[in-house]
Amino acid sequence: MGERLRAILGHGLGLLVMLPFAALLVLSLARSWPYPQLWPAVWQFDQWLLFGAQWSTLAPAALRSLSLALLVGLLATGAGFLTSRVLARRSRGWLTLALLPFAVPPVVYAVSLGQAYAALGLNGHYGGVLLAQLPFAYAYAVLLCRGYWTRTRLELGELALSLGARPAQLWWRVHGPLARGLLGVCLFQTALMSWFDFALVRFIGAGHVETLSLRVFDTLNAGDLRQAAAAALIMLAPPCLALLINPRLLWPALTRAVAP
Amino acid sequence: MTATAASPWLCVRHLAKRHGATAVFSALNLELNAGETLAVIGASGCGKTTLLRILAGLDYADAGSITINGRDSGRDTPHARGAVYLYQEPLLFPHLDVYENIAFGLRLRNMADDALRGEVHGMLDALALRALAHRDPASLSGGQRQRVAFGRALMVKPALLLLDEPFSNLDPQARADMQTLCKTMTRHHGCTVVFVTHDVKEALIMGDRHGRLADGHYLAYADRAAFCADPASGVQAERAFWRDALP
Repeated sequence: MGERLRAILGHGLGLLVMLPFAALLVLSLARSWPYPQLWPAVWQFDQWLLFGAQWSTLAPAALRSLSLALLVGLLATGAGFLTSRVLARRSRGWLTLALLPFAVPPVVYAVSLGQAYAALGLNGHYGGVLLAQLPFAYAYAVLLCRGYWTRTRLELGELALSLGARPAQLWWRVHGPLARGLLGVCLFQTALMSWFDFALVRFIGAGHVETLSLRVFDTLNAGDLRQAAAAALIMLAPPCLALLINPRLLWPALTRAVAP
Repeated sequence: MTATAASPWLCVRHLAKRHGATAVFSALNLELNAGETLAVIGASGCGKTTLLRILAGLDYADAGSITINGRDSGRDTPHARGAVYLYQEPLLFPHLDVYENIAFGLRLRNMADDALRGEVHGMLDALALRALAHRDPASLSGGQRQRVAFGRALMVKPALLLLDEPFSNLDPQARADMQTLCKTMTRHHGCTVVFVTHDVKEALIMGDRHGRLADGHYLAYADRAAFCADPASGVQAERAFWRDALP
């Protein structure tokens, strides 16, 4: 495949991915957009102004979501990277354990753990939601980071030890810099898992931990499609902003980071 | 790094190692005086690398003891042994340039910048790498990469240098250059060296003493003549080849 064709296909694919989000933006700015009109006849900002009016209640929810996402991302990425190192020289059977959280739908997981969380007094608490979200993000981080531990990277670690590195120096001077791209991707993706989570926040948070995702789903349930479109875009804003700052967070950094 | 006349500087006793059900070697004994180079030959898969990794402290033996300079070092870290292991592939840290690769061990020891610069420049000059100091490792040839890896190992002044067929992937000229350089610099730095190879000629060039690892057993030769006289060492076959090949 020629370079030119590959570039055209790449950009075409990118446009296809972006198209639903562009439609959301148009929908959030339209007074009405009946099918089969290609373009709304009348535009308005009412949906967005409504969010502005609700900012005093929206901001704490957004901050709570952001702090949860960052904490989940940092903890899962750190623990996942270290665990993947431990598993690097063990049989692949151990690694399949990391797939278990994805075999159980979050709602089932939340309902089945609800009693245990209630007994521990974690229901309705920020910490409870954090603990509930962590297994999914952690397992994902383990799976993502395992690609880093090629034979060459393991030998580079041994070499550093042989040259006198203490364990902390090994991470700081060798694996940290080498895995920087991958860790960035992992942090971003695991933080997004928390940011977009609805089921666990609803069940474990029990109405006491209000996050942005809950607010958005409440808007969706209210049945106003244009308002829901604006709410969905608010949910998408942080990841879009992060991708705008560093587009490599999504794909190329990942492929380069896991290359042997 | 001196040992008494009665006890060799490096002393390995009854070393045994298994990989699963397979015994790599059993009851391996080995002695080496300070500053000497031991060349160990053996076919691929005979356990040469495993032996070096155990001596380096990167792997542990199932049984036996390793004494370095009178100290029981069997469970010591590589750093505590003063051992540096040089891989067959010239592994360089890809995120560091040539200068920083050479300086790596000194940075770990928090050496002051001025002193570090002097040491690293000295090594770069000795290895004829000064012009490449700020090059990316990926842009170097195999010989250049191996020189950087070798210089980086010597920078930390290792008491024991463990070389795992380090020149096997080089072209003949680069290989000959590295053999000379290695011999000169390890003597200059007073390193004790264990050098494993499957190349008889290289073993003769590099080694002060010689040994052979085969079928899980290690045979130490009394001297160079004994090494050359043993048909199993491959020296006679090599000699016969050249005698027949040359006009």
